[in-house]
Amino acid sequence: MKNLTKLLSVSALLAATYITTPAYAEDAPVCGMNSGQAATGDPIKVGGINGNAPPGDFSGGTDAAAAYFACVNANGGINGRPIEYIVENDQWNPELAGQVGTKLVKDEGVVALVGNGSVVSMAVNAKLYKDEGVMAMASACAISDCYENSNIVSTNQGPLPSGIGALKYAVEELGTEHAACIGFNIPNNGGWACDWMNKYMESKGKKGTSILMDPTAVDLNSVYLQALAEGVDTILLMLPSGPAIGLLKVAEEQGGRDQFKWVSPTPIYEPGVEKVIGDYWDGHLYVNIELAQFDSKGADNKNWVAVMNKYGKEGDRRDTFSQSGFISAKFFTDALLKLDAASIDRASVTKAIKGIVGAKSDLLCGAYYVGEADRHMPNHAGRMMVYKNGGFETVRDCYDIDTAYLDPIRAQEKALGITK
Amino acid sequence: MPLRFDIKNTFTLVLVLAVIVLFPLLLSSLWVKVVTSALIFSLAALGVSVVFAQLGLINLSQIALVGVGGWVLLRLNYATELPFTVMLVLGGIVTASIGALLALPALRMRGLYLALVTLMAAGAFQILFNAFQFPNGGEGFWGVAQQSAGVVRRPAFAQSDANYLRYVISAVAICITVVGLHRYAAPGRAWAMTRQSEANAMAAGVNVTFYKLWAFALSGCVAGIAGGLLAGALQQLDARSFLAGDSILLFALAIVGGVYHWLGAIIAGLLFKLLPALLNDFGLSADIAMVIFGAALLHAIMTAPQGIAGQLIGAISSIGKKGSATDD
Repeated sequence: MKNLTKLLSVSALLAATYITTPAYAEDAPVCGMNSGQAATGDPIKVGGINGNAPPGDFSGGTDAAAAYFACVNANGGINGRPIEYIVENDQWNPELAGQVGTKLVKDEGVVALVGNGSVVSMAVNAKLYKDEGVMAMASACAISDCYENSNIVSTNQGPLPSGIGALKYAVEELGTEHAACIGFNIPNNGGWACDWMNKYMESKGKKGTSILMDPTAVDLNSVYLQALAEGVDTILLMLPSGPAIGLLKVAEEQGGRDQFKWVSPTPIYEPGVEKVIGDYWDGHLYVNIELAQFDSKGADNKNWVAVMNKYGKEGDRRDTFSQSGFISAKFFTDALLKLDAASIDRASVTKAIKGIVGAKSDLLCGAYYVGEADRHMPNHAGRMMVYKNGGFETVRDCYDIDTAYLDPIRAQEKALGITK
Repeated sequence: MPLRFDIKNTFTLVLVLAVIVLFPLLLSSLWVKVVTSALIFSLAALGVSVVFAQLGLINLSQIALVGVGGWVLLRLNYATELPFTVMLVLGGIVTASIGALLALPALRMRGLYLALVTLMAAGAFQILFNAFQFPNGGEGFWGVAQQSAGVVRRPAFAQSDANYLRYVISAVAICITVVGLHRYAAPGRAWAMTRQSEANAMAAGVNVTFYKLWAFALSGCVAGIAGGLLAGALQQLDARSFLAGDSILLFALAIVGGVYHWLGAIIAGLLFKLLPALLNDFGLSADIAMVIFGAALLHAIMTAPQGIAGQLIGAISSIGKKGSATDD
């Protein structure tokens, strides 16, 4: 009950902060054809599936994609044709995920899915996407299925690269010898990511320990005590922001800040989270981020802010998933604008998406690409931040990770000419 | 009572065949999936009805048993080359055994205490499912690997979702028939006598222990088959589909649907899966269904102990009687 209260209060404070977060820039949005004329042609149906229910809200990607497509539609659409963006929420329910996936792909006949963010939908619908020849340009993925299927490509890194990125920094800069990877025991999520964390630690001659908890019965106190019992020197918070902050609060109550080094992948990097964490953690919490800093002066980041300000809805999330959804929608739109508007169908869109190679954005550290492959992970380099002076400061700019998991990805990049 | 092919039974058979052939043609892809899911959970509700209607016992572990059936089918799918239907039956048999095992406390308990024990068992299964996950093609006994789930074989003629729905309708019809036949045979008579008075049943020579175990095994068997069908429908299973709390909801909906007629189980399954999907499709929160379920349960307890099925059948028979009176 105490944990639940913590999670609820953290969520409420974060939600309130989203609504009051000030805009970072006031530039006019730039979208698609940028003609200033509303598109009036035959709509192009595009789908999106998010997971918005306890224990996490993964709707940031579809929120931002919806805002970007609204902006595109107000600026000429896809050569005159507006995008009809249909978003479904799978509520973290595998059956519902299968149902809404079928609805979008078979009944609605969407040409592609963009901005997807769900822990269960990708696992359930990967085969459907492949069988039906439809591509999903996801933005908020957290399970292996997102990165190990031919018809899914995600703009966000997911827990594996971001977590290893955080550990790499911890090993190199903080002197980590034994890290505990604390995650949820969700199929192909916590176990998958933490297994690769442990392999990474072994490759460096260090030790890694997985501590996985039941997502339906979160007990943060016992997880904290388990980490103490394991004798680790570093805790990797492989969790959504709510439970991660809850665990920080447990450590704070028990005076545990200095018992461990604290590192985290992206989820805890959210607007407003700095107000929740408090001074206790100043200089002690390190976070690897998958996309650019929220206040980055890059053109795409500023455009993301402008699009969300003008076309986003009240209460839309403005987190990393949102940045990811925005840039996914932009890459998708750019690919479609190269097609003959009259002949756009699923086959031509799938071909166009697979033809994306070397797209650039200041939101990403490396080039974005899709290509013909049985797996995709175009984004695997990130930045490291530290919580300091009531905000996050960059302590290491774009850096890649070294893990055998990326061997097939690096081979693809070489074949596509992304790297030499 | 021997099974006779009289006009009523023949009509029912023709109706079932017509539903199998025509029903999937009327539905879009979304609703094919939703109805498939609803019918699968109708089987689980049928299992609840067997134990509650026949023996007056409350079993709150039915959703966990669905998970057990699904686990067995997935394990067999990745470990053997057995046809889907064989795996389905084996899943039903294994789950029947576990269902019978759960009946052991039932031999000494009734009412609230039995309900609590079975609920705790469901909680234990929930923890096991979360801790060990469902097989996805990995090595070892648990068959779990950090990889995308493999393919779950379906019957050759049921590769498409529409044909799989036909397969599920057939399976549901067969299970309803088997459960219905039990009611007219020796187990049904033994259950009826036991429900009235265990002491009298024993005095009459009924092996109460054996028939209680049989009821729980039968209930577990249909739940296991439901789990196998669910695994075939989704091509994988997730621990979040088998929460202990859902067994309470399913029990409540079995009461709302009506436990004394097979139609009640179908209604319970439709309420359990179809109503939330309808609300979701209308853009409303599926949680509204819980409010509706609560009101429906109150209505059933206060005014309709036979459930919606009882009310429907009552209405149909009263129309029939009026028709006969008019003819006279």
